[in-house]
Amino acid sequence: MEAGQLFPSALFRVGPLQITSTVVTTWGIIAAIWLGCWLLSRRLQTRPGAAQTLAEGVMTAIEEAIRAVAPDHVQMLLPFIASLWIFLVIANLCGLIPGIHSPTRDLSATAALAILVFLSVHWFGIRSQGLRRYLHHYLTPTPILLPFHLISEVTRTVALAVRLFGNIMSLEMAALLILLVAGFLAPIPILMLHIIEALVQAYIFGMLALIYVAGGLQSQMLREQRKENEDGEGQQR
Amino acid sequence: MELSWSTFLLEIINFLVLVWILKRFFYRPVQSVIARRQQGIEQRLAKAAEMESSAQELQQKYQGRLEQWRGEREQARESLDIELNAEREKRQAALQRELAQQREKAAAMERRQQQDQQRKLELQALEQGSEFAARLLEQAAGPELEQRLGDMLVDALEDLDDVRLQQLRAQLSERDMVAEVASAFPLAAELRQRIAELLRELLQREVQCHYVEDPELLAGLRIGIGGWELDANLRDELHGFAHLARELAGA
Repeated sequence: MEAGQLFPSALFRVGPLQITSTVVTTWGIIAAIWLGCWLLSRRLQTRPGAAQTLAEGVMTAIEEAIRAVAPDHVQMLLPFIASLWIFLVIANLCGLIPGIHSPTRDLSATAALAILVFLSVHWFGIRSQGLRRYLHHYLTPTPILLPFHLISEVTRTVALAVRLFGNIMSLEMAALLILLVAGFLAPIPILMLHIIEALVQAYIFGMLALIYVAGGLQSQMLREQRKENEDGEGQQR
Repeated sequence: MELSWSTFLLEIINFLVLVWILKRFFYRPVQSVIARRQQGIEQRLAKAAEMESSAQELQQKYQGRLEQWRGEREQARESLDIELNAEREKRQAALQRELAQQREKAAAMERRQQQDQQRKLELQALEQGSEFAARLLEQAAGPELEQRLGDMLVDALEDLDDVRLQQLRAQLSERDMVAEVASAFPLAAELRQRIAELLRELLQREVQCHYVEDPELLAGLRIGIGGWELDANLRDELHGFAHLARELAGA
């Protein structure tokens, strides 16, 4: 492995767009996922086989995780959050395949995912409660906290992108350095660590995204509950 | 490490496409299958609950019927026990009566056997006594004994009461007054005369006595007048003794 391959390089250009290895790998992952899902969807039965059982187990586990955080918006959040988890697990584990680099070692890819999370927080918040009421929560509990809210939005998005990028890139770099120094079989423990780290980072990214999105939804829910409680107390008086 | 805007934009697009693909080919079909299975499970659960409720109803029904059967069985058993007790008591009473009858019958039979045994013993004793007396008297028979028996006969004729005498006189009124006097040994003239006089005195008419000797009499006399006969001899007495014994045995 050459040092130049550690960072994504442009393979070709399509008009103004520069197609890098990250994009190509992502396309490959998407194609593999599509093929697997297509094959699986053709064989779905009421009595599941092994693959269907695995798929249903993954689906059920993701649903339960979302239900634990945002019990009232499971179906709304499921496609985005589950896609994040599935894509990140596969993308992080791609680095284990010789000759293929994980897309998440590219800051552009992690930044794109972080931006999607940032946008989805507002999208789901506005979609569930409207633009005005959603923006109102930046002024609560006091308008003085508005700059801190805005800074928090930016920093947590940057943190999402950099955390995933830094971890995956450092894993691949460490594996490369040990391979160069120690020989062929020495990086195997590091590869085992790579599997754990890939799963953990995918879980952390998806869980943080879920918490951010659910936080926007639950702030509205908390206000509604507070208002309902105030109305109930007023009627009792 | 630098941010590639092309990669950034393409990754955003790629991820959105991936979300669509997963939603179209993974989430919906899998959720649909899970929902169908869940629906099937709920239907089976509902059916199972319905079957359970019907089974419980049947169980309650059968338990009620079973309790009823148990009650009827207990009732039938009680009535059967009562009937058996009544039948047992009835049979026991009948058996007691039969036993009492058998006991009485056995006692009667035993008494009869005892009486028969006693009678046999008495008869045997009488026969032995008769035989013994006959042998004794045969050896003791003689003219002296005949004399004494003749005296006894005379005394007996003299001691006849009036009623008997009247009956005797009435019976012998139209008959031929010939008296046959039998004796085992020849009678003395004095005794003959005394007998004739006594007969004439008793019957109050003339009686002709005809004297015969009969050794079978062993000792004593036999006086026969018409159908009347007066015995005072050993043979007749022994015959009478034996006859009495036979009568007792026959009774």
